[in-house]
Amino acid sequence: MSFFGFNTALPRDRAPPGDQRGIFDAPDPFAEVARAQAAGLQADDDDVINFEDTYDGLGDQLDEDQDEFNDDTFGGGGDTSGVGRDFDFFGKTAQVADVIGEEQIRYGLQKPPGLVMPPAAEAAATLAAAEAAAAAQKPKRSGYEKYEDPGYIPDLQAKSSVWSAHKRAEPSFQGPSLAKKMMSLEEVEAQMRQHPTAPPPGLSQPPVSLPQPMPDLSHFQQPLQPPLPEGFPHLPPEFVQAQLAKGIPPSQLLPPPPPMVPEHFPMPGHAPNIPLHLLQNAHLPPQAMTPPPRQAMPPRAQRPFPQQQPQPPVIPQGPRAQANQMPMVTNPQQLMHLNEEQRIAYLMEDARRAKRNHKIFLLSKGNGLMTPQDKNFITRIQLQQLVAAAGNVADFDSEAVLSEDFYYQVYSQIRGAPRQHPHQPLGHFAQTYLLQTGNRLGGHGSRRHGNSADNHMQRMQQQVQRAVEAAKQKPKNKQLIIEGSLGKISFGNAKAPKPMLNIKRPDSSEGAKTTKKAHADLSLSDRKSILTNIEGVYSALMELEDMERTMPPPPDENDPEAIQQHMEWRQKVRALNQKLWQKLKVMEPIVPNTNHPHPFIAFLSCPKGKKAIPRIFRQIDQEQRVTILTMIVVNLDTLDVVRRAQLMPGETQLSLAVREAIELFSQAVMPSLLGYVNEAPFNIIIGLLGLMIAQTHVELVAKTRIGLGILTMLLSRAEIVKEAGQATERDWQQWVEKFNVLFDTLEPIFPDLFPQSINAGDDMYVWQFLAAVGIGASPEQQQRLVISVKDRVMETVTYSKTLPADMASQRLGNVNLFMRAIGLDVELLG
Amino acid sequence: MLFFSFFKTLTNQTVTIELKNDIRIRGTLKSVDQYLNIKLDDVDVLDLDKYPHLSSVKNMFIRGSVVRYVVLPRSEVDVGLLEDATRREAANQAGKAR
Repeated sequence: MSFFGFNTALPRDRAPPGDQRGIFDAPDPFAEVARAQAAGLQADDDDVINFEDTYDGLGDQLDEDQDEFNDDTFGGGGDTSGVGRDFDFFGKTAQVADVIGEEQIRYGLQKPPGLVMPPAAEAAATLAAAEAAAAAQKPKRSGYEKYEDPGYIPDLQAKSSVWSAHKRAEPSFQGPSLAKKMMSLEEVEAQMRQHPTAPPPGLSQPPVSLPQPMPDLSHFQQPLQPPLPEGFPHLPPEFVQAQLAKGIPPSQLLPPPPPMVPEHFPMPGHAPNIPLHLLQNAHLPPQAMTPPPRQAMPPRAQRPFPQQQPQPPVIPQGPRAQANQMPMVTNPQQLMHLNEEQRIAYLMEDARRAKRNHKIFLLSKGNGLMTPQDKNFITRIQLQQLVAAAGNVADFDSEAVLSEDFYYQVYSQIRGAPRQHPHQPLGHFAQTYLLQTGNRLGGHGSRRHGNSADNHMQRMQQQVQRAVEAAKQKPKNKQLIIEGSLGKISFGNAKAPKPMLNIKRPDSSEGAKTTKKAHADLSLSDRKSILTNIEGVYSALMELEDMERTMPPPPDENDPEAIQQHMEWRQKVRALNQKLWQKLKVMEPIVPNTNHPHPFIAFLSCPKGKKAIPRIFRQIDQEQRVTILTMIVVNLDTLDVVRRAQLMPGETQLSLAVREAIELFSQAVMPSLLGYVNEAPFNIIIGLLGLMIAQTHVELVAKTRIGLGILTMLLSRAEIVKEAGQATERDWQQWVEKFNVLFDTLEPIFPDLFPQSINAGDDMYVWQFLAAVGIGASPEQQQRLVISVKDRVMETVTYSKTLPADMASQRLGNVNLFMRAIGLDVELLG
Repeated sequence: MLFFSFFKTLTNQTVTIELKNDIRIRGTLKSVDQYLNIKLDDVDVLDLDKYPHLSSVKNMFIRGSVVRYVVLPRSEVDVGLLEDATRREAANQAGKAR
């Protein structure tokens, strides 16, 4: 992965294509490698063509027989490892102006005149000459001998000039350097000697980078390259390059041809420079990478100049010291002809190159250690851990999502809120990740290794699937007891944060439960057991509603499996329905004369119970509905909204709690009942009315809003049935009989049905009831009815005159509801 | 996860959060996480004169553990659903404990 780091370190090298550059001014070297690989140059069977892989097997293309000079080129391995990576390019660039002076001082410090040095160190110490000398004098020179000198200070800051000020000059060197690449060192030197004072025309700072390319390539190319004629470098660089690019053999350009040029530059342009450079490096035999002895050198010796000052034993001597050094250089002429600035530039170049080689070496150390298969394996392990760590089993299971995130999921569905992250945390992530990996794997690889790439993908996916499966099956171990630890380590994840408290539940909870149950049985109707019952109903209800959600599609008749599925589902629903029915306790025997109301009536006396009725009615069949309705009618007396709705003497208004209960009942329960009654057969209505008269105190019930509401419900349904002509004569007779009993019972209290005072509020439900009675009543009954409520009618009419128009019309409308039912109108009352 | 699930539905609603140090902050709930950390936008500190240092704060991230109350917009809460969700949660917990 460190390759990425390296890559970013060379942004300056990514110049636009047209930008000419020196031979060693490599554009991103790895881009070149990748390009070369993409072009099919690489025969590696690696199906993962991603950046880090491109390096693998690159060396296969190289001629193995050129290895013997690798050491010369790159040093004995980690030679440069001490160079460090923390170069402050920018900062150093800023100091370029100071570099010259500093360099001079440094030279003085580094090479005090009296210092006796071993030949190699001497050579190394004279920076510029060192490489030339190495190549020329010793068969086996790394070019980094100077690093063996503890006194040597790699010139790090100088490098910056390469990026900035000197960049401009570079293109002009290109031609010469290109050509010189083919030259041996001796030739270079000879050439230098020949043109000591005349740099190639048109170069602003020719020598600065002139030596730069020489030592490096000349090292490994030396044996292959016959000498180039001296005149060669003087051709205009652009021209040479262009000609080379066109494939024109240099022999036609230059009188004495460099024979190796075509061979070494199979590709046009300067692109090949870099791969070549890299390939050489990648190709280093392992032994070349062994750390050199020099590594033991104190690191600070490699730091930039300023910190070095105290180090040298001898006081800086300035130019004289430098002059003294010169003779030690093997080819002193070479440097003698360079002025200070140029020398510095050379040093910068040198250090930069060394650093780069070192970097490449460092990075390439691990090359090929892992095969693409290894990498995929690691990726799979990581994925698996990801899956396991997030505990995201739920994300693959909508059921689990719903149970974990019920409120949000359902709420979003109901309110249509946008679901920001449907299956957010990992399912999504893992998929994205897989997709990306797939692209990476398949993208390039499919070109040549489509099969194996697919294979990897499949295996990756399978792996994830298996991981998910395993995570599902494995009971989650929430705690870890490490041997020797003092306590348990509990770990949490995003889904289930670490519990702060670990309360161990007693295993004897079973026993506790049974006693509780016995207790519950004893007092079936105490508040706690009522609430327990309600919760039981709700849980059954929720199970039923869950079943609704999982309902299989309507079965196709030709598909036995679907039919089978459907049958099973129905079976389950039926079982759940029975469960719900039992929990409702509607069928509990009615115990007459007990203090405790029937369990179902107790159920209805709780707001929670009332609210459950609409949902229950959705889940049960008609027979069960009529049973519930019957139960309610029979027990109207004990129903809280009736029982507690009786006004005590002296009370003008019901308590708030009761009013709320009544409101809730009429909103939650009554519509359900009405919904059923409106479809009920006539005989059931008759039966219900009969039950009401027989079982309840109608006078009391009728004085409550709910009781009156139920009566209205029954009476109006009977009227509708009669109007529709659906009632048989016998049924109707039965009905009239019951109706007469009811009328006679209620006649004395018709005026008392109303809320106490005329301004007590809403009395519409009473007018509705009276209207229902009036419609069904015989003319003689209607008369009695009018007489009974005449006072209230007149009162209301008078009262309404004192009210604002809209309220008045509302009150009058209520009265009129009744008046019209008996064929009258408020208007008639004038 | 019930509270997390619940607060998620309140994103982009205006809520008032009372912290355990009595600071009350009204703002748009931007997001909640499983620790009930809260991200608030368009922040409005009540009793700003007591906490002048908060006057320039426009949005904030509140660690869940320092929240005392969250005042919710009532219309945005589906009580029945919340009751059911609570039942489910309780059932889940009971199932896990066993």
